[in-house]
Amino acid sequence: MQKDMIVASSLCVRFAQQTVLDKVNFNVGQGEVFALLGGNGAGKSTTLKTFLGTIAPLSGTATVMGMSVSKDIDSIRQKVAYLPESVMLYGHLTGIENIKYFLSLADIEKSAPDIEQALMRVALQKSAWCRPMSNYSKGMRQKTAIALALLREAPVLFLDEPTSGLDPNAIDEFNRLIATLAADGATVFMVTHDVYGACQVAHRIGLLDNGKIVGMFERKDQAHIDTEEVHAAFSARSQQ
Amino acid sequence: MSVIQQVTRDEWRFWHRTKLAATIIIIGTLLTLVSGVVNTLEMQHASHEREHLQQSAQAQFLEQPDRHPHRMVHYGHYVFRTPSALSIIEPGVDAFTGTSIFLEGHKQNTAMFADQRQASGMTRFSSLTPSFLLQVLVPLFIILIGYASVTREKEAGTLNIMITQGINVWHLLLGKYFALVSSGLLMLLPLIVAAVWASINGESALITSSFVAGYILYILVWCGIVLAVSAVNQKNSASFAILVSLWIVLCILLPRIGSSSAAAIAPSPSKLEADFAVKAELRKLGDGHDASDPAFEQLKKNLLTKYNVDKVEDLPINFRGTVAQYSENKLTEILNQFAEKRMQEELEQAYIARQFGWLTPTTAIRSFSMLIAGTSLETHHRFLREAEKLRFDFVQSLNKVHQDNLSYEADANRNKNADATKAARVDAANWQVLSEFSFKPDTAQTRLLRSAIYALQLLFWCGLIVLLLRFAVRRIS
Ligand SMILES: Nc1ncnc2c1ncn2[C@@H]1O[C@H](COP(=O)(O)OP(=O)(O)O)[C@@H](O)[C@H]1O
Ligand SMILES: [Mg+2]
Repeated sequence: MQKDMIVASSLCVRFAQQTVLDKVNFNVGQGEVFALLGGNGAGKSTTLKTFLGTIAPLSGTATVMGMSVSKDIDSIRQKVAYLPESVMLYGHLTGIENIKYFLSLADIEKSAPDIEQALMRVALQKSAWCRPMSNYSKGMRQKTAIALALLREAPVLFLDEPTSGLDPNAIDEFNRLIATLAADGATVFMVTHDVYGACQVAHRIGLLDNGKIVGMFERKDQAHIDTEEVHAAFSARSQQ
Repeated sequence: MSVIQQVTRDEWRFWHRTKLAATIIIIGTLLTLVSGVVNTLEMQHASHEREHLQQSAQAQFLEQPDRHPHRMVHYGHYVFRTPSALSIIEPGVDAFTGTSIFLEGHKQNTAMFADQRQASGMTRFSSLTPSFLLQVLVPLFIILIGYASVTREKEAGTLNIMITQGINVWHLLLGKYFALVSSGLLMLLPLIVAAVWASINGESALITSSFVAGYILYILVWCGIVLAVSAVNQKNSASFAILVSLWIVLCILLPRIGSSSAAAIAPSPSKLEADFAVKAELRKLGDGHDASDPAFEQLKKNLLTKYNVDKVEDLPINFRGTVAQYSENKLTEILNQFAEKRMQEELEQAYIARQFGWLTPTTAIRSFSMLIAGTSLETHHRFLREAEKLRFDFVQSLNKVHQDNLSYEADANRNKNADATKAARVDAANWQVLSEFSFKPDTAQTRLLRSAIYALQLLFWCGLIVLLLRFAVRRIS
């Protein structure tokens, strides 16, 4: 297993007077699901955006698959899939049309059976495939976006609050999907404020508070990271 | 298919599925089409009317019985100018100046409309001519279609996905640009049809294709403005507000400011003032109807010496006719002086107003369009000059008939009694003095040369758009 698919070393980000990220370090290995956990305003999305190249760090480096974000952002973008907090593809297009269009923008050609297979894999109900996306639920939109990532064969996934706004069943389904993707070799970096969900799906959790990593939790032999432990650390922080 | 083509195709799919944009495109295209057709019918009607009037005016003139020649000078007649073929799209100054002139002795009349109905019609339609639609309303339609072309993707977050997926922002913007341009070109369709029609009707192909090319540049410019504004803004509403304000400034305010500052920079005396000055000058000339006016004393002396006689009665020519010629000549000189001065002032003003084409593409296309179509002030002035030349020749031919074919004695005694009046006439055969008036459009070369600088203004705007789009691409990336 490659250890350094995603690496943050001493990342610092400032907006005007405010230090939003303060010497953040972590690395994510291939096939690993890493969750960056933190309260509102902790700097989670900012971390994610520095990896996507939409925010430039003040100091420190961010690398993806060995490529530096500041230098090789174009090559990185070919390799990563990003799911924003509210995935909104085109409302005027159907699920399949959305996928085809975004693939064509990335200059990728996929056959209809390939697309259908990907949609089956993310378990998007067949009846929705040819309906305009404007009446998809958030879960369905997310599935479509993940199907797109699969078809793009993106080895790295960046997910921003993927489970917020999903119902419990959808969350379970989503977590199972992420687990299978990781088992197949995808590297998943997600940011979330959902302690329980993060413990369910992540191999490792970094606790982010006020722009600093204040704790790392790892799944050892158990099936999940210990929710109690993480929860205790999380609430201790938010009560300060 | 390339990424650019994909984006263009999707833009069209979006317009098709969200009925609003499609509706605007259809309305815009229909409106220009309808206005083109209405204007063509209007013009055709006017042209028939004109032909009819021209013929009947001519026939009436020729049918006049034996008369005193000076009565014919006052009878006068009409000349009409056939409008240029492209004026069905671009009536230009024709909409305000009129295309017919009444020619008579001692007067330079202003041009007017062939008949009252048309006059009211023209003013009613002058605000909704195809050129107005193309120059002012089509940009608004392009704004309505395109203001959200990029902001909508920003609001939906799809732009973010595309960027993080590594799309080339130039490809994205070009794809959207081509889509917007194609919808704009659709609204140019009636113009293209009219241009083909004009070519068939004898207009130079170089002219009609330049005409269309000018409007294409204009569409390119507006699509660029709309896209760039949409690309640098974050919200649909902001993009819309900015574009509508820009539209008001570029399409409405600046052209207005252009013409009013032209009037301020190069003021021309009011018509009343000018008329007064002309009157004052003319008064010094003496009355051409009165051969005993002291103003003609010198003329009389010269003639008496020349023919070696003592009294005007003994001259072999009719002195009254000579005076009429002499005074018409002097009077025309003065009138022409004032007319030339006025035309010069009008041209100066037009030239200043046209410089606003560097500030707004609307003025640039307006100048270009009028000059290419041959409906500009320059053409109108040539019409005035040619009509004036015709008037002068026709009046002087009659005055010559007066001098040569009517005896001084009969002329001088014409008011004594009915018989004397009858005697003071010349044969109706002398009325064949009207020469055919056919006003030729400016040559293609003249029109192209005149409009070159305004083509340059349009190209300048295109260059500006490229810079603007480059700026937008940098902002997004
Ligand atoms: N573009 C920005 N300009 C200024 N401040 C920002 C910007 N984006 C985020 N912030 C600030 O940075 C902090 C972290 O934001 P963010 O990373 O979005 O937090 P979260 O952990 O909730 O995702 C917040 O205090 C936020 O107000
Ligand atoms: Mg008279």
